[in-house]
Amino acid sequence: MQMAKKIMMKGNVAAAEAAIRGGAEFFAGYPITPSTETLETLSFRMPEEGRVFIQAENEIASINMVLGAAACGARAFTTSSGPGMALKQEGFSYAARMELPYVVMNVQRWGVGLGMLDSGQVDYLRDTRAGGNGDYRHIVYAPDSVQELVDDLYEAFDVSQKYRMGVLILSEGYLGQMMEAVELPPFKEIRRPDWGLDGTGEVGLKQLCPTYNMALAHELLPVRQERINRVCREMQRWESVETEDADYVLVAFGLPARVCVDAVRRLREEGCKVGLIRPKLVFPFPYDAFHRVNPNVRGFISVETNDLGQMVQDVALAAKRELPQRNVPVYCYTHSAGVPRVQDVVRYYRSVLDGAVKEVY
Amino acid sequence: MKEIIFAGFGGQGVLTGGLLIAELAARTQRNAVWMPAYGPTMRGGKANCVVKFGQTPEERIGSPVMEEADVLVAMNVPALDYLEYCRKDCTIFVNAHTVPADQQLPEQAVVVRLDCAELAQKAENPKGESLVMVGAIVRRLGWFDEDFARSAITDYFTGKGKGKYAAANVRAFDLGCQEVK
Repeated sequence: MQMAKKIMMKGNVAAAEAAIRGGAEFFAGYPITPSTETLETLSFRMPEEGRVFIQAENEIASINMVLGAAACGARAFTTSSGPGMALKQEGFSYAARMELPYVVMNVQRWGVGLGMLDSGQVDYLRDTRAGGNGDYRHIVYAPDSVQELVDDLYEAFDVSQKYRMGVLILSEGYLGQMMEAVELPPFKEIRRPDWGLDGTGEVGLKQLCPTYNMALAHELLPVRQERINRVCREMQRWESVETEDADYVLVAFGLPARVCVDAVRRLREEGCKVGLIRPKLVFPFPYDAFHRVNPNVRGFISVETNDLGQMVQDVALAAKRELPQRNVPVYCYTHSAGVPRVQDVVRYYRSVLDGAVKEVY
Repeated sequence: MKEIIFAGFGGQGVLTGGLLIAELAARTQRNAVWMPAYGPTMRGGKANCVVKFGQTPEERIGSPVMEEADVLVAMNVPALDYLEYCRKDCTIFVNAHTVPADQQLPEQAVVVRLDCAELAQKAENPKGESLVMVGAIVRRLGWFDEDFARSAITDYFTGKGKGKYAAANVRAFDLGCQEVK
């Protein structure tokens, strides 16, 4: 078999191409750094493939256009970054009510309010919970390389339609801007679902979405719960590095996780029993990974590029659920903006050993 | 794994120079990462990128940011700030056009000096300073076959619709090679 050619691609550009190959038929979005290259690429690639591209007048319009396309059964896609994602939250909530599938990529930038151009993982809590009003979730992928970003987007449209849920790709500024050698998958045949508005007026929202009728809320509760339960069972995905005998287990996603792989290697060379859990999805959180670590583990260390610690909450819940007999301390290294260096992670680990930092949970 | 930092001012081609090295690695089926300076740095004139690549097709790249570079390409004096992220015994490719001969450099480092601006002029390719540097790197470090590098550079620029500059770019590359013997 001929080896697929590796080509250098920028994360944001590769994401656009992967979405097209994964079957994206409709894109509406609004430019915002550091996600804009995806929109720029789609602006010419979507028409080239006979698909629809719209640069909407703003973020809110773009998510509502995505809802419209999704209601017709189209594979719909949008992208944004922190502040733009904030504006889209109402749309996500409405999509959840109508059980509409779509894919959204958040190329996170660090900071609050307008934020900064720097990279960060500041939207974890919002994006893994319901960011808008009401009671819903996204399925949230957290790629750590341009190749995984490609693979995730390629799969995302199928997963979104399978569960009839929004899928969120949690990227970060540096991942969008950096280039890596990637292999692109072949074009998928676009499969339309057996539902969707068709413009005849014969299919309405109630037929489209059985749970739309809130008067039936109590009857439909099990349906809604079972959907999430299925996702939590079927989408447990992570990568473990030397956790079986680890005294301390780092937990990180995205680019900081790659730094942690190197940190584990360096610390192991020095005889320190350290491991890593890298969630590949952060909703559902990979609880199963925690079930398989050394039962005598002495602590978990969440490594994140924000200021207050966010994923550490899920790490603490996982430790409680999977190691219920032991109150395993959970620490958090908050690196703030950018990407930590290996020596930053190693230094924090040593400060845990020295007792210089206290556990968060 | 190899790690190279390219640094200089915007316009000196540091991002392109780094990308060409990453391209050479990718085209030989190896994992390669190119991380540009981005954000406020990009908007202020100082430019840099870090390139990392595996030495075998299987080798994965962990941390994508500057850690302990094997090579620093310093197109100007401020670029030497990045020595902070280099191994003590790194190789420094210095643009002699902008970095004075009496510039203090770490004792353990191997220093390769060449006047990229002058050589680029000689190649009738004044914008080709970074290609001169890429030539010097390829010849001096021997990480890539030179003929392969020439054809990859031609292919890269042709693919970007800049094929008409291919000959001038290869000339700049060749002068960089010759300068370091």
